[in-house]
Amino acid sequence: MTASGTGILTVVAAMTIESFAQMCLKVGASGGPKILVEPYQSQSISFAILSYAKSWIVIGILLYLIEIGLWTLALHQLDVSIAFPMGSLCFVGVALLSQLFLGESVGRLRWIGVFCILAGTVFITL
Amino acid sequence: MVHKSTVPSRVILGLLLAIVLDTAIQIFWKMAVSTIPSSSSAVLTFKVALQNRYFYWAMAGFVVQMVNWIRVLSEADLSFAQPFTALGYVTVLAFSSHVLHEQISINRLLGVFLIFMGVVFISRTPHQTTSKDRQ
Repeated sequence: MTASGTGILTVVAAMTIESFAQMCLKVGASGGPKILVEPYQSQSISFAILSYAKSWIVIGILLYLIEIGLWTLALHQLDVSIAFPMGSLCFVGVALLSQLFLGESVGRLRWIGVFCILAGTVFITL
Repeated sequence: MVHKSTVPSRVILGLLLAIVLDTAIQIFWKMAVSTIPSSSSAVLTFKVALQNRYFYWAMAGFVVQMVNWIRVLSEADLSFAQPFTALGYVTVLAFSSHVLHEQISINRLLGVFLIFMGVVFISRTPHQTTSKDRQ
């Protein structure tokens, strides 16, 4: 695989992990898995360690540390003008996870906002 | 459907602090790795970064950011709060343009405008759409 191919995979992995990290922090900050929608809520509550809010914060921080490593690597492998706009894919990931797992109503206006931000980051690196 | 939501001032202050910290972290992080030649290996990149004091400034900022961010998330939707951090891109751009005396191109202005519009759209949605006591 080419160096930039590896770099792009690294960015996608970093952004996926960052989106999950954000979701875990949100669950932790909101007092634990009761913020999750079903069936994830019951599944998390029945899984001993996941029933505590603090566990989610710890998992979120661990995921963040992995993301820091991957992002450092990505910036090293890729030109900033490619890595940077791709980095804003985490806004899409977060919106998706918020809707799927947290039951937030990501309506049309929020999605338009997310895509404006995505387009904006492409333009500022052109 | 545009809802006017009253966002608590704690949330607004937390979001502003998050943007300031994000900007500082990005700049320190960049300063920590900017001296490393791009031909060096991943292991060497980490080794050199770990020896750079700016890396530790970035990490310190990261700790403060984490505490602040958890406070923000306890009171706002994730899909509401997180997009505001995109404003950090604008502040980083403004800072680096100022320091590096780069010309601001029309594309960059358009990009900044789009990011602002995106954040404006999101700020017009309700800041909290889930109940903390969903049982």
